[in-house]
Amino acid sequence: MSLDQKNYMVSMLHSELADAVGRDYVSCDAADRLAHSIDYYWIPEMWHDRGRENPQPEFIVHPGSTAEVAKVMKIANQYKIPVTPWGGGSGSQGGALPIYGGIVLDTKRMNKIHTIDTEALTVTVETGINTQQLEWAVEKHGLSTMHFPASIACATLGGFLAHRGTGVLSTKYGKIEDMVMSLEVVTPTGEIINTLPVPRHASGPDLTMLYLGSEGTLGVITKVTLKIHPIPQSRKFHAFLFPTMHEAMTAGANIMRSRLRPCAVRLYDEAETAKLIKRVLGIDKKGAYLVFGFDGFEKIVDLQMAQAGAICRRQQHEDLGPDMGRNWWDNRYKFFYPPYMFSLPQAFGTLDTVATFTNIENVYWAMKNTVRDHFPEATFIGHFSHWYEWGCMLYARFIVENPPVDPEEATLYYNRVWDLAIRAAIKEGGVINEHHGVGLKLGRLMKELYGPAYEVLSGIKKTLDPNNIMNPGKMGFAGK
Amino acid sequence: MNIDQLQDTINACRFCFMCRHLSPVGNVTFREADTPRGRALLAGKLQQDIKSFNPDYVETFYRAELSAACRCHCVSHYDEAGLILAARRDLVDAGLTPEPVKKLAAELQQVDFKVEGSGEVLYYVDLYSTKARAPKGCKTISGGDAGKALEVLGFVREADAVFTKFQAAVKDSGCKTVVTSDPAEYDFLKARLPSVKVLHSSEFLEGKKGTGTVYYLDSDYLKNYQKKMTAPQDLLKRLGYTLKPFGTNTEESYTAGEGAVIYDRLYPELTAKMCERIAGLADDPAADVLVTSSPYTKFVLSKYTPQLKVLLLDEIATEGI
Repeated sequence: MSLDQKNYMVSMLHSELADAVGRDYVSCDAADRLAHSIDYYWIPEMWHDRGRENPQPEFIVHPGSTAEVAKVMKIANQYKIPVTPWGGGSGSQGGALPIYGGIVLDTKRMNKIHTIDTEALTVTVETGINTQQLEWAVEKHGLSTMHFPASIACATLGGFLAHRGTGVLSTKYGKIEDMVMSLEVVTPTGEIINTLPVPRHASGPDLTMLYLGSEGTLGVITKVTLKIHPIPQSRKFHAFLFPTMHEAMTAGANIMRSRLRPCAVRLYDEAETAKLIKRVLGIDKKGAYLVFGFDGFEKIVDLQMAQAGAICRRQQHEDLGPDMGRNWWDNRYKFFYPPYMFSLPQAFGTLDTVATFTNIENVYWAMKNTVRDHFPEATFIGHFSHWYEWGCMLYARFIVENPPVDPEEATLYYNRVWDLAIRAAIKEGGVINEHHGVGLKLGRLMKELYGPAYEVLSGIKKTLDPNNIMNPGKMGFAGK
Repeated sequence: MNIDQLQDTINACRFCFMCRHLSPVGNVTFREADTPRGRALLAGKLQQDIKSFNPDYVETFYRAELSAACRCHCVSHYDEAGLILAARRDLVDAGLTPEPVKKLAAELQQVDFKVEGSGEVLYYVDLYSTKARAPKGCKTISGGDAGKALEVLGFVREADAVFTKFQAAVKDSGCKTVVTSDPAEYDFLKARLPSVKVLHSSEFLEGKKGTGTVYYLDSDYLKNYQKKMTAPQDLLKRLGYTLKPFGTNTEESYTAGEGAVIYDRLYPELTAKMCERIAGLADDPAADVLVTSSPYTKFVLSKYTPQLKVLLLDEIATEGI
């Protein structure tokens, strides 16, 4: 449904929504509708830049409680109006775009911290909270979420839960799905449910995991209990330069295979080392830059640092030392601020994927060769930023300096880069995404990724959301 | 257009979310438009077509509280506060100013500056201060805003006219030093009165020794516009007070709209919400002593959150807790 703003039904719904959440918290304001029509996805940015209007919501509602979310969902179900949850709007996949109009359910007003449990080391919090604000509040108690994504200041906690986000310390502390104890969810039909209070059990399938990564298509996550951690006594970093990405990958994988538990490992390929490491950190050297870090009690950190350093020295290397490692940590967010971040008129995107150590280099080369062969005008850079015992995540990016000017043509061109590169990754054992989610951008590839299992996902969606009002058209699910 | 001078800021901020957590008005309205990104998007629209610029867009520019916390946070220091001021000037030039803003601007032009008392130093009694607060031995100048408020509303020619009157009154006073308690006026006068020594009261007051723990609420102007001026904190420490950090971080603005100088006159409800947010961040709202160097912040916190104990820096310096 996309209502003409002059239709009196708009006024009727406005009144009903105002009744649910309060007059101050329903908006049809033109400025808000514009701001909610553009997230961090390149396509709406490009359309806006070229004077083309993006789809806008009819209403933006800011519920202040779970009960108010439930009321909004019941109204939306009654009239079969699409509801698109919106946290910080900083997602890069178009997941929060109201492509069929209707209601944008902006969660930011739901920002209260309910409890900080210093016995269990957990925090129970509403999901509209900005994650930097959450981290500051938890730090005031001498604790930390240890969730430090580049978008910490941009995004809400709900955004991370919705698309399985991650932070720079994920190698030790996990992705967001590893941090969750339990969830409160409002279903598409307006029921309020809770998942089990602990994440490890043998009491049936895990509903918590069903909702994590569902990107607002199965309900609205309204409250979460997260694990939190003591602030470590010490956190240290060390950087190496390797002549090739393969040498660096061998060193990084060996650290993980040794079962040392670094808090961070990051490896930049030769192209990104030359482009971004030089620009942001001022290290002007040829090769592949690798940094790792450990945190905890200082004596243990020192031992771990020494062991990881020894593993790196087994490969051909240049030891850049701890200062060049600390430099990376201190500037870890700088990469994402203008003018360091890519920007229009460039076309750019993050082709992030994840695979085992057996496959990850093949995935990298398959993507890189695909982009090079089909789009010789594109630059391809990549780093490996989240490491597991079995493999790691590839944060590959393409940058095209002069994409087509016509918005339609530019959109088709852009989609083609994704289609070819992601299919190449899947073929080599990768997946379509590791921590940015699927959204609108990659929905069409979900069936290919899941195969027959996609029917299971569609079946769940149809059962939970019979009127298909929750974020329709995302993740490959049916549109309106 | 004035905003054309800030093209780099429009381009940088319109798709950037990195400082959104520091938008005081956005943190109480929860509106996407009330963030630096939202306003930069609107500035781009303003450039495209000012004639059919939507009144909602205009309102959004005036709803901004101008704390400049975003500019300080940004690693490249893009001037989003400057962009809002430029947009407001363009809106005034185009005759698109909302009626309440026009009314307020007309009122602010009704000035009658008077110098009273005796002394070598001239104390400026701004809109939120009183003559009684003037340091002993100073002359006072009162009679309206010196032009800062008009300037932030986008009425630069009118601001210049008012300031010319103020400047003439200062000249007639014969004083070579002007002291103000208001960080906004300090910021304004320091740039505009090069031949006169302009001091914030924290740089002038001797103060009386005291004891106790206080939370200092930093000023937008002293922190974000005057590059982290620490004279108020230094004075409090010199007087013997122990300073505790307020809230959860040092980046956020805890002024309830000081950056916009007269914010409560246009948006009392939002000012009240910002005050309530500040109250919600106090460790112990009933017991904590909060100190501000801004008469505006003292005024609005006392008005909207009377449960808080808020002292103006000048008060604690002269009278203690």
